[in-house]
Amino acid sequence: MTEPLVSAPKAAVQPLAAAWPWRAAALAWLAVVLVVAVHQVRFWTAGRLDTDVMALLPATEQDVALTRATEQLGQGLQRQIVVLLGAPDAADVRRAAAAWRAQLLSDKAPLGEVEEQGADGAQFVAFQRRWRDRLLTPVQRERLLHSPGAALTQSALAQLHQPGASAREWAGDPLGLGSEWLLARAGQSKARPRGDGLWVTGEGAEWQVLRYEIGGSAFSMSGDARYGPALEAAWQAARREVPELRMLAVGLPLHAEAAATRASWEINTIGWGSLGCVLLLAWLAFRSPWPMALVGASLVIGTAAGLSLTAAVFGQVHLLTLVFGASLVGVAEDYGIHYFAARQGRPEVPQKMLMRALLPGLALALSTSVLAYLALGLAPFPGLRQMAVFSAGGLAGAFLTAVCWFPLLDRRPPRASRFAAVIAGSLARWPRAAGHPGVWIIAGALALFTAAGLVQLRAGDDLRNWQSSPRPLVEAQMQVNRLLGMPSVAQFYLVQGASAQEVLEREEALKARLDPLVGPAGLQGYVAVSDWVPSLARQREDAALVARAEAQVVAGVNAALGEAIARPGPSVEPLTPQAWLADPVSRAAGRLWLGESEGRWSTLVLLQGLHGRELLPRLAETASQLPGVRWVDRSADVAVLLGRYRGAMTALLLAGHLAVFAALWWRFRSRAWRAWLPTAAASALTAGCLGWLGEPLQLANVLALLLLLGMGVDYGIFLVEHDGDGSAWLAVVLGAASTWLAFGLLAWSSTPVLHAFGLTLMIGIAAVWVLSPWLRPPPRVPP
Amino acid sequence: MIDRRVWCAAWVLGPAAWAAEPVPAIVREVRRRLADEPVLRGAFEQRKTVKGFRNPIVSRGEFAVVRERGVLWRTQEPFASTLAVSRDRIVARQADGTVTRRLQAQEEPALRAVTQTLFALLSADLAGLAERFQIEGDMDAQGWRLLLTPRDPALARWLRRVELEGDRFLRSARLLEASEDATLIRLARHAAGPALSAAEEAQFD
Repeated sequence: MTEPLVSAPKAAVQPLAAAWPWRAAALAWLAVVLVVAVHQVRFWTAGRLDTDVMALLPATEQDVALTRATEQLGQGLQRQIVVLLGAPDAADVRRAAAAWRAQLLSDKAPLGEVEEQGADGAQFVAFQRRWRDRLLTPVQRERLLHSPGAALTQSALAQLHQPGASAREWAGDPLGLGSEWLLARAGQSKARPRGDGLWVTGEGAEWQVLRYEIGGSAFSMSGDARYGPALEAAWQAARREVPELRMLAVGLPLHAEAAATRASWEINTIGWGSLGCVLLLAWLAFRSPWPMALVGASLVIGTAAGLSLTAAVFGQVHLLTLVFGASLVGVAEDYGIHYFAARQGRPEVPQKMLMRALLPGLALALSTSVLAYLALGLAPFPGLRQMAVFSAGGLAGAFLTAVCWFPLLDRRPPRASRFAAVIAGSLARWPRAAGHPGVWIIAGALALFTAAGLVQLRAGDDLRNWQSSPRPLVEAQMQVNRLLGMPSVAQFYLVQGASAQEVLEREEALKARLDPLVGPAGLQGYVAVSDWVPSLARQREDAALVARAEAQVVAGVNAALGEAIARPGPSVEPLTPQAWLADPVSRAAGRLWLGESEGRWSTLVLLQGLHGRELLPRLAETASQLPGVRWVDRSADVAVLLGRYRGAMTALLLAGHLAVFAALWWRFRSRAWRAWLPTAAASALTAGCLGWLGEPLQLANVLALLLLLGMGVDYGIFLVEHDGDGSAWLAVVLGAASTWLAFGLLAWSSTPVLHAFGLTLMIGIAAVWVLSPWLRPPPRVPP
Repeated sequence: MIDRRVWCAAWVLGPAAWAAEPVPAIVREVRRRLADEPVLRGAFEQRKTVKGFRNPIVSRGEFAVVRERGVLWRTQEPFASTLAVSRDRIVARQADGTVTRRLQAQEEPALRAVTQTLFALLSADLAGLAERFQIEGDMDAQGWRLLLTPRDPALARWLRRVELEGDRFLRSARLLEASEDATLIRLARHAAGPALSAAEEAQFD
């Protein structure tokens, strides 16, 4: 039996002296709880919840230009929803769009349609006309360089005589360069303004492109989606008008809304589910309302404290923090359960005496858990830091509630229950490794199973293991990208130089390497600033080339037709990036121009039709051979980063085991290994199981093993601290059962990273639960 | 056959949106009178008058209109070249067969408006034309005259007016461009012809 309990009567003679500081602590904690309560009311009415899935990811160690590039590419996308309505007949689409708009207007959804402002055709023609001899496509440059003048003249004559071609236009552009260049530029986006908005043709249908900006937050506190249902209702209304209508809706707000709706459901399932389980277990074990109420109170206060602390530290709380935090319920109940289990076992000991006796074990358990959670925060992932602060704060809140309030509020010891007696009694019958004949066989079999699993374990740092969106949304996104011919924003080139001209020249060198890759098997094309504004050197060459060819062709045509047509004049001045940016046509590609920052000029070159991954190594290699050109593959960068932190966190996990073992040694000396080994063995076993299950080992699994270290060791501590005490065992069983349930529920999360957390802890906690009593100290010989 | 002005029209021209409107009575009458041959062959003379040019640009040659397939426009004088126009493609070739231009509506959907209009004009596809033009006209025992004005302002930037004349066949087409160029096409020696040869068929590819 533990020492302090034996000395209880001695302490009971001076209860007044002991009561005063306790009461003060309870009142102080009450004050804190009131502050938290006020903060909670304000927090939930303000709704400062973050739903951006990418917020979970680290702010990568990017340089300034890359950060700006990423921001510029994402600009406006955060709040934008794009809808495509399509049917074979454009007139049908017009009718459907009218019904669609009417329904959306009558809906209360905060969606505002954005007026499309693409430059009109006349503006493009005016731009080309102004710099007509300085804008050539690669194909045109080849033709002018290599075709003899006579062939160019023949082609011009043939064209003049064909129907449909305006001779007047020919006189202004004898080589017919304009329309080809305009066609090439127009190919960069397939959407076209047709007087009544943007249209695109493809996949056997005419599509009207509608753009919306959202008014409010993508997440509503009730977890009800708003944009999705509004679009669905509008679609139903439009389909009553045109039954064969097709709709594609994409945009970050829809992804955020899907994630939020799902997360909200998961918070409710995991949070209320595990709270219900904990209370049910408490009822079964203690058969009294007080323990249930107090344990429930400690959980509610703990969760609220964690949330308030997170909001205070970070300013806002990520939705996935709440989902993860919901599993806290299964961990934070340990302190209260432990107290009541001890109270049930020793009803004669006064409450404060009992709590004082339990305090060292509870405090040690709290500190290992808090340390483990805070270790999560070492990785520079904003989402993880929030989860760490939330959990550490929540645990401390539950702990303080139990320690400060329970001894004062708990009036009557819980009744003995058959359920509690059976569990408490089961410890005596639980097999013990010490002295068991088959111990080495069992240990050997477990080691073999673990080793075989570990061999199969594969690392998987893909971004897709971290977050996921509903399949239909992802497919709609791909279809829209195809229809609109939108370039990829996940992979691109960043081109930098000491001057604007150097950047343009470097772009041209890059494009010369990319041209051979453009074709049916490779890229569909690329988009670059130098398509619109060639470097001055290139402009000089092209203007000279055009002047020579035009002189030949005009002379040839004049001779053949007996005319005296003059060659149209060359452009008056060179084209500069400033002139382009000032022209309305720059709206088509202006976002690729990053301008100057700290003496360096930067632009982006985007790729179109990059569907497979086979081309990526070649594209990356192309950049490595060119000065000032950088290949940026954001998903690969994130995967590398995740992999690096997986390595670092694995090292931290090993260091953590050493530190925990040292702490245990300080208190338990030669018995320390009994508290530590179950968790260490369970961690290895869990990793082995992941290997057998074919789950990729990723950062989330390693972080979950860190948590397992913090929580699993608690069970060992309780069992070693209160050696042979049936009530300590009862607390461990109840605690482990509810933790296991909470994380088991988390394993069903459809967010991959939370699933990985939950699965790892579900396996790990079950293993610790079984191993801890197996390795408990041998029974003492009665004196 | 496509220059900046046409491109500019194509940029904003969608598929014809007025298909639902009833076809005018005069158009139905003319269609009834027009011979409906699977393959119609004949000769043409095209005369373009252009401001700034001293002489009209005149060309002569043969044409073949193949129902649902396209129009083959073979210029023989003064320079040999071929133009093959179908609903979704325009291919221009030199005398030796090398392609000088190939425009595909699949690659640039907006071009479909241009290819369809050109196809409809050259093949006298009145139903197709009625989708894009307001059509008025009159007819007597000898023949008919139609005046076409574009419905879409974008198309009007390219073609201001089209005048068609004919009897059992389309005899002449006058195209007035917005640039004030005028093209007069006369068609003669119409005959229901043999189907396209393999070589002719290949011109469309």
